[in-house]
Amino acid sequence: MSTPDPQNNQDNSTHFGFKTVDKTEKASMVADVFHSVAKQYDIMNDLMSFGIHRLWKRFTIDASGVRPGNKILDLAGGTGDLTAKFSKLVGKEGKVILADINSSMLNVGRDKLRDKGLVQNIEYVQANAECLPFDDNTFDIITIAFGLRNVTDKDKALASMYRVLKPGGRLLVLEFSKPEHELLNKAYDFYSFNILPKMGELVAKDGDSYQYLAESIRMHPDQETLKEMMNNAGFEQTSYHNLTGGVVALHKGYKF
Amino acid sequence: MNTAALTTHNLGSQLMLKQALALALEKIINQALKLNINKNVELKPVNEKCLTIILDELNFPLSFSVFQQQILVTSLDENSDCSIISSVKTLKELQQNQQLTELIKQDKLDITGDIKIAQHFANIAQNLTIDWQSELAKYIGDVATYKLTRVAKTLADKFNFLKTQVQSDSSEYIVHEQKLVVTAQQLDDFYKQVNKIDEQTDQLMLRLTAIEQRLQPTKG
Repeated sequence: MSTPDPQNNQDNSTHFGFKTVDKTEKASMVADVFHSVAKQYDIMNDLMSFGIHRLWKRFTIDASGVRPGNKILDLAGGTGDLTAKFSKLVGKEGKVILADINSSMLNVGRDKLRDKGLVQNIEYVQANAECLPFDDNTFDIITIAFGLRNVTDKDKALASMYRVLKPGGRLLVLEFSKPEHELLNKAYDFYSFNILPKMGELVAKDGDSYQYLAESIRMHPDQETLKEMMNNAGFEQTSYHNLTGGVVALHKGYKF
Repeated sequence: MNTAALTTHNLGSQLMLKQALALALEKIINQALKLNINKNVELKPVNEKCLTIILDELNFPLSFSVFQQQILVTSLDENSDCSIISSVKTLKELQQNQQLTELIKQDKLDITGDIKIAQHFANIAQNLTIDWQSELAKYIGDVATYKLTRVAKTLADKFNFLKTQVQSDSSEYIVHEQKLVVTAQQLDDFYKQVNKIDEQTDQLMLRLTAIEQRLQPTKG
């Protein structure tokens, strides 16, 4: 499957899946996708990943070094899977901010967490990752799971995360990435472009959004490129860990 | 770490075995807590506390954090209130009322942090009571549950009888037919004979010493 080269974009253009669009349009186009899938988001995640997304998220929690009393920003937190776990681990003295640019996702997340009885240490903020509405040096940990690839200006978003992270704090980026083995890459390509949109059509009645999902994964920077982007944003001791053969990678970086 | 161990470790972390085990344990524990009918099981005293267990059989920690009425299982070990380094075998011994201090003295158990937290978790595990018949009856009805329970009890009795019979027959065969091992009585007799020889050897030694002493002045 050939994919457009993201590096060839004009300054004021960016990619929306395989399409090249104006930078000003991408946010609203991504918003439309997530408004459309919000209600079916959790069930689709389980179906598409065969439930493995739960293990990827657990791996992120284990890598976070979270402690009671920590202040955590779960960026692009969607339906709040990570927030739910962090909320239990930081305890009453800690705080978790579930932030998402998309109001529909935030509403689904808030309803889900409240139904689970998680209310006392969670706040909900509708925020754009590129210009986070928080003071400098606010958070001990920032996580962004399956969200960075939808951000229009990733460098700006990483710089914004660096700003609001406390010195000594860590950023964890969980995102689809490039499979390590060619055979797995081909199988994954076939699954993403042939089966995934059909599942989206069947379950969420929205094949186009899941076509975008597959395309956006291909357009997302690979492991080394993202690591370099984190370095450029100022993060130190950056590293990444491939999961499920590199289908997903967890990037980690510190602010000192 | 050698290359093979590194590859296994990498494969294990790629397949997220730690996380899969933690997920399974968390589901089982919370389901058991939900089904528990014993009112003495109380999570409140350990709310927001964390117990970490590092087993010799696993090369990673398992942390049990309590929040409200749920237990969260992770592989985090950075903020534990109590850590136990042990093995599955020792934990079984502990369950069978072995003295905690005795196991610590024997270096089988290493505990750091607040020991009361470990004791409270152990009490929770020991006191969990699930009324399996009532739970099963919700799905298949009272009559079917009663019949199934009777069948299960009969099978368990038969299995226990069979187990005892096989153990008894096999020990007879090994001891009396094949003579591969000795009985406790034979072993006892053997010890007695060894003790007797030991006494006789001591007496002989005394006599030899006495003779030696008697011969010494003649030499001088």
